[in-house]
Amino acid sequence: MKLASYATTLLVCVCTQVMGSEPLTYEQHIRPIFRAHCFDCHGATADLEGSLDLRQVRLMKKGGESGSVLDLANPSESYLLERISSGEMPPGENSVSPSEIETIKQWIVEGANTARPEPEQIDPGLGITAEERSFWAYQPIRRPDVRAADLSHPRVRNPIDAIALDGQSVDQFQPDADRRTLILRAYFDLIGLPPEPKALERWVHDPSEDWYDQLLTDLLSSPHYGERWARHWLDVTGYADSEGYTTADAVRPWAWKYRDWVIQSLNEDKPFDQFITEQLAGDEIAGPQEGDLTDRQIELLTATGFLRMAADGTGSGANDAVSRNQVMTDTIKIIGTSLFGLSIQCAQCHDHRYDPIPQTDYYALRAVFEPALDWNSWKTPDARRVSLYTAADHEQAAQIEAEASVVVQERAKELAEYMRQAIDAELMKFEEPLRTSLREAYETPANDRTDAQKQLLAANPSVNISEGNLYQYIPDSKPKLAEFDVKITEIRAKKPVHEFVRALTEPPNHAPETKLFFRGNHEQPKQVIPPGAPTIAAPEGQRAEFPADDEALPTTGRRLAFARWLTSGDNPLLARVIANRIWMHHFGTGLVSTPADFGKLGNAPTNPELLDWIADELVAENWSLKRLHRVIMTSTIYRQRANATAIDHSVNRSLRRLEAETIRDRMLVATNTLDAKLFGAPVAISEEDTGQIVVDENQPRRSIYIQSRRTQPVALMQTFDAPVMETNCEVRADSTVATQSLMLLNGQFILDQAAKLADRAALEACEVDPESVDGLAVPELPAQSWQYGYGRFDEKESRIEDFTALPHWTGSQYQGGATLPDANLGWALLNAGGGHPDIPDRSVIRRWTATDDCIVQISGTLSHASENGDGIRARVVSSRHGMAGEWIAAHSSADTSVSRVEVRTGDTIDFVTDCRQHQTSDSFAWQVSLAIQIEGQPMQTIGSSDRFAGPNESTETLVGQIARAWQLAYCRQPTRDEFGMALQFVSRQFETFAASPTTVPQGKSAVRQAMTNLCQSLLSSNEFLYVE
Amino acid sequence: MNISRRNFLNSHAMGLGSVALAWLLQQEQALATPKNIPKQPATFDLKPKQPHHAPRAKAMISLFQHGGPSHMDLTDPKPELTKYDGTEYSEEVGYSFVNEASKTLMGTKWKFAKHGQCGTELSELLPETAKIVDDICLIRSMHTGANGHEVSIRYFHGGIPGVLGRAHLASWLLYGLGSETQDLPAYMVLTDPGGHPVDGVNNWSSGFMPALFQGTVLRPKEPRILNLDAPPHLRGEPQRQNLEFLQTLNRSHADRFPGANELEARIASYELAARMQTAAGEALDVSKESKATHELYGLNDDATREYGTRCLIARRLVERGVRFVQLFQAGQPWDNHSNIVTALPGICRKTDKPSAALVQDLKQRGMLDEVIVHWGGEIGRLPVTQNQGGPEKHGRDHNGQGFSIWMAGGGIKPGMTFGATDEFGHRAVENVVTPNDYQATLLNLFGLDWNQLVFHHAGRQEVITAGRNARVVEEILA
Repeated sequence: MKLASYATTLLVCVCTQVMGSEPLTYEQHIRPIFRAHCFDCHGATADLEGSLDLRQVRLMKKGGESGSVLDLANPSESYLLERISSGEMPPGENSVSPSEIETIKQWIVEGANTARPEPEQIDPGLGITAEERSFWAYQPIRRPDVRAADLSHPRVRNPIDAIALDGQSVDQFQPDADRRTLILRAYFDLIGLPPEPKALERWVHDPSEDWYDQLLTDLLSSPHYGERWARHWLDVTGYADSEGYTTADAVRPWAWKYRDWVIQSLNEDKPFDQFITEQLAGDEIAGPQEGDLTDRQIELLTATGFLRMAADGTGSGANDAVSRNQVMTDTIKIIGTSLFGLSIQCAQCHDHRYDPIPQTDYYALRAVFEPALDWNSWKTPDARRVSLYTAADHEQAAQIEAEASVVVQERAKELAEYMRQAIDAELMKFEEPLRTSLREAYETPANDRTDAQKQLLAANPSVNISEGNLYQYIPDSKPKLAEFDVKITEIRAKKPVHEFVRALTEPPNHAPETKLFFRGNHEQPKQVIPPGAPTIAAPEGQRAEFPADDEALPTTGRRLAFARWLTSGDNPLLARVIANRIWMHHFGTGLVSTPADFGKLGNAPTNPELLDWIADELVAENWSLKRLHRVIMTSTIYRQRANATAIDHSVNRSLRRLEAETIRDRMLVATNTLDAKLFGAPVAISEEDTGQIVVDENQPRRSIYIQSRRTQPVALMQTFDAPVMETNCEVRADSTVATQSLMLLNGQFILDQAAKLADRAALEACEVDPESVDGLAVPELPAQSWQYGYGRFDEKESRIEDFTALPHWTGSQYQGGATLPDANLGWALLNAGGGHPDIPDRSVIRRWTATDDCIVQISGTLSHASENGDGIRARVVSSRHGMAGEWIAAHSSADTSVSRVEVRTGDTIDFVTDCRQHQTSDSFAWQVSLAIQIEGQPMQTIGSSDRFAGPNESTETLVGQIARAWQLAYCRQPTRDEFGMALQFVSRQFETFAASPTTVPQGKSAVRQAMTNLCQSLLSSNEFLYVE
Repeated sequence: MNISRRNFLNSHAMGLGSVALAWLLQQEQALATPKNIPKQPATFDLKPKQPHHAPRAKAMISLFQHGGPSHMDLTDPKPELTKYDGTEYSEEVGYSFVNEASKTLMGTKWKFAKHGQCGTELSELLPETAKIVDDICLIRSMHTGANGHEVSIRYFHGGIPGVLGRAHLASWLLYGLGSETQDLPAYMVLTDPGGHPVDGVNNWSSGFMPALFQGTVLRPKEPRILNLDAPPHLRGEPQRQNLEFLQTLNRSHADRFPGANELEARIASYELAARMQTAAGEALDVSKESKATHELYGLNDDATREYGTRCLIARRLVERGVRFVQLFQAGQPWDNHSNIVTALPGICRKTDKPSAALVQDLKQRGMLDEVIVHWGGEIGRLPVTQNQGGPEKHGRDHNGQGFSIWMAGGGIKPGMTFGATDEFGHRAVENVVTPNDYQATLLNLFGLDWNQLVFHHAGRQEVITAGRNARVVEEILA
């Protein structure tokens, strides 16, 4: 039983010897080459080119029109070899590789051996050889025996570990991951969201022995589990909220009900066989659908949305045979890749080139779906919808429709009038008698026109006025008619909301024949093919065929029979494919790394026994995904520490970058903005003027609910590899590119989230144990070079006396108290552009302090705008030299230039304003600009208004904010080193802000901006983007 | 007996000799897997890749002329059409605008003359292009078979008329060849200040290929590249500090996972992003170009400044290793349904000089040998009048049956015309070239075999021409 895995493991070391020792045979070595290159014309069909059949050595020896193609006496003279080596065969671009030619040559030299005697008679077609049948994927699932010794190994927690251990005494497992890592891993794997800090700490400190089991129970019963795992399934099914195929990419308004059904079913842990059966044949299970639908019927019909996921342009401009058949083609592709793990779609035009899937099998599968997706009796997407209207809804709607029809008639009248005007005017451009002839021709119904009339109209195309081009003749007609349309829409909007499900149903008593299309061309139908399962999925001679019509059902019952067969356990494909996908989503890589291709072009399982064990376990546990999650997640393999250097990632946890959706969701959780509501119509998207598609920011719901338009991928999602559905997504890419970095550095969404995280960290700053930051300096904001206060100008000393800071900051100005006038300081205030003085001895003072020895040149304009009062007086006073200038403005302006003030470090220059005699109507504007010349440095200019800011904030909660930001982003506390790094970062930011104030956006404080920048780094860092 | 799998095989494999084991072992070899269908790599990158054969071209600049330039007024002289001006056309015509449709033939209003050594005839509307006729190959027999704009545009870009979701020609080049620069996006799109072209963002979609191969839009206004520049308050020092802090976090995180290449790759991608910010800023700054260059591209003239600047930026980009640059017009200025007498000279004035300057400039810098320049729209126009009421208001309706484009450089034969339309310019009749032929030829010049460059998608092996008939137009290769 272990042979298959031996082969896999040791292929590399032993294959050459084996090749050397065993003779080449036709079946084993040559036929696969012919299948890939030759059989299309020489064996697959009765239509043999040159009458040459390559399906048997016997037939090759007999040869075709050019005689035998094998010359055993002179192997290199063989016609077969000659034609292939010369590149003449196969015709076209593809050619047989040199190593394959070598194999063929070697085989002829050895005598063109066969593995067994060839029968005298063979059926048409390629058939399936024993060699093809023995491929691993088609073998029955066999639960491997687990060695007792392995089970008793101290690191082995369950049979998964035992199988992985595989008798090795050496402990090959990594140490268990720590508890916090494991909790995060489980959260992201099962629900795709991070734990809230409180929940996390609860689990980390849970003293119970079985805390991990409880955690899994908790997460598996979370409603978010369904959202997380539905996303995986929706990838494979090709879920989209639009039809695709044509330019219109029409919206699929009701597809989301299928999405919700998937979420709901996974949350219920609906047995996966039932989950599949309902999707394939929900309508056939639902029973007769007469009258109001029951809830169960609605659910079953919704499930069949699975079969309506393929792109479908037949309702949006492409309702032709090719487009209809394309819907079937894509549907079969989705079924093949999601349920069989086979590229069965490749057998549409010819027998599969690599896998034993004859073209007839493709059409047998097609026959299963033909009654419902009959291209000869097609229904557009709208026509396929199933209405959820009840009888009562219908009655109410009919009443409202009667109301609308009145307006509809008015519109028709108006339209007729416009058409009359347009044709009359157009005809005036023609002379009689042509005019009358044209009118007659135009007014004759199209079908009744004589040939002469048709020619006449064709020769004068401008007369062919229709409702569609009416606006080209009477531009006003369009808005006018649109007014009616608005009215009609308004009335109709009063009807009960008409909900539908996007379902696949089969008309009763409709059993069309399926014919094989020669070369896949629907215009060349050949023999009738009855419904059946792929031959290779059953032991030889036991291929499953399905009745063409089940008498017990109004429908043909083909899909139900197919679903029952598929889930019966009689085929080896489904359970392996599903179990492998589950494994893949836990480990990043499947045991088969090509989850949609278990065939020859796919990769072999890295551990076939493990694959069989989990596949068998899935079936044995009543197809419960939740139980499979649990058994996988309780294994030591899963609980290991991430191993970045592991060779086989399918049995080692490696670091995994979060998917696009999870990155966005994680950010929304961190900032506490996620709207965790389940289900419902998709969240709107829109195109920015840059052409980027963005999500409506007012609906911060989980990303699975974002509208998925095939032609309008959301930039954030697409950049991080979310699929843009053409047909379906078998496995996601995982790219690391600079555009992602740019998006995280500069994208609006992340900037917004960083700001929100900083806001939240400020509100919820942690209590931090002083010891954990012991010895670290908490940065203070640099002293401000401007102060805002009041005082008195001593004329005798020519100096300022009693400078006192204005005590209250309103957010935009400094003043005496919260309300004006203040009991003590009256109307004294200073703002960015000017201010208001108080009583004569109480001037308001804007004070600048020099940080270097320098020479200052001052310019500015003083204005007093009011027409009342006696104006104001302004002075510039240097602490070193006294008054440098004095100006009065009364209902006027004054230029306040001072050509030169020499100052030393620590000196002040005060900009002093008083009220003169009368303290009324004294609002003033006074913006000054200081040109500062420090010796040996370029001149710098600072303005009083652009440096205007509130008082320095306290940084006392900074450490607590950093701790909280860390906790929300990383789900852990920062280490002492990290505190140090963060504080240093903030300190440098403060310096930068002080040096260039425009780096702090309006309305932000320096502390908040520094924290915003810090949060952005956290959210775009690898620790946030990857889970261990 | 508890023996490990390895021991078991070491001691038994050679001696086993049974057919069963031999079979199983051999089975894994996938003997029939042909070499020419490479497995899709699990991850994609833009590292330089080996072409299939020696390339002639390394980069391409496409000056796409949305709307359908009127070939019989610009590039394809039709004396018969002039002769029968005003008479009824006897052939079937497909119209898009039926209300103004007519069958009255309309000769060109402009004079044609021979130019250069090769003697290619061009209309007086293209005096500057006339100066480069000895450097270009004018194809007069383009054919999409469809009149619609989008249908034909998608045919040119993606390989199938009208179908969305296909990868752009440039995406194929990136997929096949990677990028020569690691500091700039390898595929850049320069849109018009007036807005997006018709069919919007589909014009630079990588379709079924990963977003890595999608065009990066260089917008005509700030921000030039989406997300490239930081918002004003983060520019310079704050972002430098952010990035430094971020990388410190990333490095200490990576230290916990020795050997995790993906973490190193992401650290590197942030560095690239930072380099791109500088490199792109430099590449877009045309102020350092000489006065002569400014004059050559018409940067001193209001009519040509904007398009000239973009043409000049295009040159600067390919100079820095960008693989593919495409310039678009806002809307579709060549869609002259009406007032062709005034509208056509207007758009010619805007584009003629800068387009010619680009070829001249590349040539004088010795770059034309390796850079292909393409000029052309998705369709042409009809020989019959679209009647807008009065001769000065006349125009021409769409025509995908026959029209002109020109190409230069990168292995294209200079100084020739290729193919022909019928006597009225309605249908391509001689040496018909389809967009699929165009694609095959371009890939060939880049050293790629158009039919061997396969992208695995949805179980299919996609090629650029989607299995449609195509050929390398050998006749126009130098």
